[in-house]
Amino acid sequence: MKNSTLIKGTAAIAVGAALLLGGGGTLAAWNAEATATPGTIVSGDLNVTAAAGVWTDRAGATIDISTYKVVPGDKLTYTQTLTVKLVGNKMAADITLTGADSANNFTADNVIVSALQLKNSDGTAASRLLPVVGSPTQAVTASTSFEFKSATGTRSDINTSYNLGNVKYTVQQVVAGAGLVAAP
Amino acid sequence: MRIKRSLQAAALIAAAVVLGLLTVQGTYALWNATASTAPGTVSSASFDVKMTATPNSQITTNMTLANDKPANLTITPTSTLLPGGSAYGGVVVTNNTNAGGSFDTAITATKGIVTSTGDGSLALNVSVNAKLGTSAADCSIATGYTVLGASGLVSPPVIKGGSTVLCFQITLSSNAPPSVKGQAVNIPLTLTASQLCGVPGVC
Repeated sequence: MKNSTLIKGTAAIAVGAALLLGGGGTLAAWNAEATATPGTIVSGDLNVTAAAGVWTDRAGATIDISTYKVVPGDKLTYTQTLTVKLVGNKMAADITLTGADSANNFTADNVIVSALQLKNSDGTAASRLLPVVGSPTQAVTASTSFEFKSATGTRSDINTSYNLGNVKYTVQQVVAGAGLVAAP
Repeated sequence: MRIKRSLQAAALIAAAVVLGLLTVQGTYALWNATASTAPGTVSSASFDVKMTATPNSQITTNMTLANDKPANLTITPTSTLLPGGSAYGGVVVTNNTNAGGSFDTAITATKGIVTSTGDGSLALNVSVNAKLGTSAADCSIATGYTVLGASGLVSPPVIKGGSTVLCFQITLSSNAPPSVKGQAVNIPLTLTASQLCGVPGVC
């Protein structure tokens, strides 16, 4: 009697399992799939490099400032080309310069010293920069001039000097336009 | 009580953190890059003019002394003056600047008040003539001298490193009185070096 019950139970389990196995195929109702490649996120770039500065005289001839000695009537110009790299769809940056430890020992009335200026390739003042079409880089020119006035008399300001000191050019990304958030 | 104090401390810390974050907001930098340079030093030239006496060429000096005072150069003719005769002297002036570009100078010689020892009659009987030479030897050649007038003797441009020669001739009148014998005459000459404009239109 006990064996009969055991057999019946086993048979019931077997039938149930068979039903489950048989019905497995019916789990596949309609279904579909698609694949996608979301793409790669690529970052841009920001950099500034400075080429060697060049000093020229009034006639435009290149001079070696380490050995050149100015006399009244001289006018020297310093020019330095900066290469600014800006890459990024929403890239914008400000370029600034800071000077430090310059020392001018000339008599103020005897010289005309222009402040160091930054200009774009079209001659306009450079401040806010945006990427340019067709090139990851753009040129910015830094320049200043020193004129030893021809009106300088007697032996005024012989053997003196004007050290322009150290100059630092900084390109700082800024949040300009929509789509970027300012720093928290 | 303890909870209240803890809350106060926490609030204080939070406020400090917020304040700190606001203060250092600049360090929440977006991208930035820098490049540095040292443009250099502009140096001015010297203005050195060397004078060498002739014929006593061992006497040489810079026109301006180290103390910024004008130098005195003694030119001593080798011959003595006789009525109707002349003595010669001169100075070789060299532009010794270390200017980087062109630096032309002009040298001008003007005569001061002539004096002489004794009764001073010698000073009244000498004439001072001058000319430009190309070498010190030219000064002893009698030709080419003209009276040194009020406008003085002006050299042509003396380029950087170049030199010019200013020659002087002292002539004693053939009608000089006997009283001039034994007297010595002093003829002060002032030499001025001036920079010439090197850039047309800006001087």
